[in-house]
Amino acid sequence: MIVGIPKGLLYYKYHPFLITFFKELGAEVITSEDTNKDILDLGVKYCVDEACLPIKIFHGHVVSIKDKCDLMVIPRIMQLNKNEFICPKFCGLPEMVLNSIDNMPPTITDPIYAISKNTLYRWAKTTGTRVTHDTFKIKHAYKKAYESLINHQTGINDKLNNMKIALVGHPYNIYDNYINMNLVSKLNKLGVAVETMEFTQDFLINLEINNLYKKPFWTFARENYGFAVNAATEKRVDGIIYISSFNCGIDSVIIELIKDRIGSFPFLTLKVDEHTGEAGIETRVEAFTDMLERRIQNESNIPTHG
Amino acid sequence: MKATFPHMGNVYLAVKALLDGLGIDYVIPPKNNKTALDIGSLHSPEEICLPYKIMIGNYVQAVEQGADTIIFVGSCGPCRLGEYCELQINLMKKLGYNLNFIVIDYPKDIGIKELFKRINEISGVSNKKAHEKLNALLNAIQVINLIDKIEEMAHMYAGYERNKGECKSLLNKCKNEAMQSKTPIEMIKILKNYQQKLKYISIDINKNPITIAIIGEIYTVIEPYSNFYIEEKLMDYGISSRRGLSPSWWVRNAALSPLKINSYKIRKNAKKYLSIPIGGHAVECIGEAVTASNEGFDGAIQIFPMGCMPEIVSKSILPTISKDLDFPVMSLVVDDMTGEAGYITRIEAFIDLLERRREDVLSRC
Ligand code: SF4
Ligand code: SF4
Repeated sequence: MIVGIPKGLLYYKYHPFLITFFKELGAEVITSEDTNKDILDLGVKYCVDEACLPIKIFHGHVVSIKDKCDLMVIPRIMQLNKNEFICPKFCGLPEMVLNSIDNMPPTITDPIYAISKNTLYRWAKTTGTRVTHDTFKIKHAYKKAYESLINHQTGINDKLNNMKIALVGHPYNIYDNYINMNLVSKLNKLGVAVETMEFTQDFLINLEINNLYKKPFWTFARENYGFAVNAATEKRVDGIIYISSFNCGIDSVIIELIKDRIGSFPFLTLKVDEHTGEAGIETRVEAFTDMLERRIQNESNIPTHG
Repeated sequence: MKATFPHMGNVYLAVKALLDGLGIDYVIPPKNNKTALDIGSLHSPEEICLPYKIMIGNYVQAVEQGADTIIFVGSCGPCRLGEYCELQINLMKKLGYNLNFIVIDYPKDIGIKELFKRINEISGVSNKKAHEKLNALLNAIQVINLIDKIEEMAHMYAGYERNKGECKSLLNKCKNEAMQSKTPIEMIKILKNYQQKLKYISIDINKNPITIAIIGEIYTVIEPYSNFYIEEKLMDYGISSRRGLSPSWWVRNAALSPLKINSYKIRKNAKKYLSIPIGGHAVECIGEAVTASNEGFDGAIQIFPMGCMPEIVSKSILPTISKDLDFPVMSLVVDDMTGEAGYITRIEAFIDLLERRREDVLSRC
């Protein structure tokens, strides 16, 4: 049996888990290619117009491998943490895909509550039976998969000793280099180091959250807000770049929350959709880093004592 | 304290009854209008959903009339509305207003103690006795149930009325008179009176009007300003319409959802297409489309604000329902840039389509 895994949305976070799990169960696993123009075009063609870019791209990935596999995983991620939620489009992802794309192979759409090892195991138990009925095998595969998930490190933390920016946004916007038009390497080329949220400890994030009137109930909002504000107030970085998709309801709220908090700290929002041009992004990033450089120079020109 | 609150359909009547009953001073923001929306759009984050923007307009206009406390109902399920309060508090501060926000949330999020504390902030100002306060609350609930009922009747009977325009004018008169009332008791009397009047308007049972279900995001379907008064327009065209989401539905839902006995039929009908709640009111939207089709409606119109996350999911499901059940559904997306003219054309085209479908069926037999 061939299991297909589309390389979109949170793939960058969970792929070792899914791949290991199905391989250990004895299935062959294929993934779609890295995002490219064809995949984007397919996504735009099949997905509802109003959706955001990452969702459209996910549709593209699905279309590109739907005829090559016997079973496709469309992860319906419901929760990553207790009492927190994620975007409604994740919870309804299978519905979006199955109603927009014809002739789909059988799919796995059971809800995933990745709150704890146990809740995740429940998902594995039901899903595993789609490949094998050997419960021992499923248990074993789950163990292996969980290990690989734990060992899977993501995150960028460049150790260049000049300017540094915090790169904030949803994982797929940060790690899918087609969506962000190779932003990280562009920054590196300009001599700018990049840090992402994975290196900020949870308790620091939560410290920032406690200053809010109300705790955000979105996991993404809590993490991104906490990281950006922490990096800014502790002056670990010289500026913040937020990469966001047009029409993302969650980003529109997080960006506002961050801006309210950090005041005049340098902040650049890059918004992407299928019409965004690479040149435009480049100019804006360059202008931003130039500005940061001037700021740093100005600061070092001011004598420290009176 | 001079309280105010954002508009949403007829909620203002219930809040008026409540605050009148409690003897608390209040300002009702001017009915939603272009200026309110312009103020909101000017100050709000560009990509926030439409309801947020209109609410900001409401606050500013109410504050201009002397309001100093804003009462706001928070979390309506896992969606942006729950995050509004934080941003709105910050925004109003930035605009230089010194306001007190009272956010009523579900007890499961803020704890029952905090909830009582917040409710106390409102009712503490009132010098009424405990049983009078309870009465005020019960009256307010009765008001919202009555006005929702009246509206529902007017929208449904509009297709059957013999004297064209009677339903619409009764409904509008009813709201105006209720607004002028001095006490909750008087308001309830007025509402009951109009309910009777509506019951006995002259109706032609043999008419077979086009029937349309209004589904979609809760604020934009309930607040007429945000959907260009679609229900009034349908009444003008002599079309019967029904909308499942209403403030009284919301109250019932909030009270009953822990028991999971609310809107059983809707959830059952949605099940085949959307089996788990994904946030917002997507399940209701899907369930109502299926229900309307089962009950012989001619079509459904889905309305939601630009960028509304749960309704985008619904929108991808609706074409399948439409195909499976041979049931026309049209989606309308509204935001502060939506032009009324184009919007009306689309509604008219949809009605034409529904009429033509009927003729086709007739000519076939
Ligand atoms: S979180 Fe934003 S970008 Fe991600 S799927 Fe939801 S709307 Fe799209
Ligand atoms: S349901 Fe839609 S309109 Fe309502 S808060 Fe959520 S995104 Fe905004």
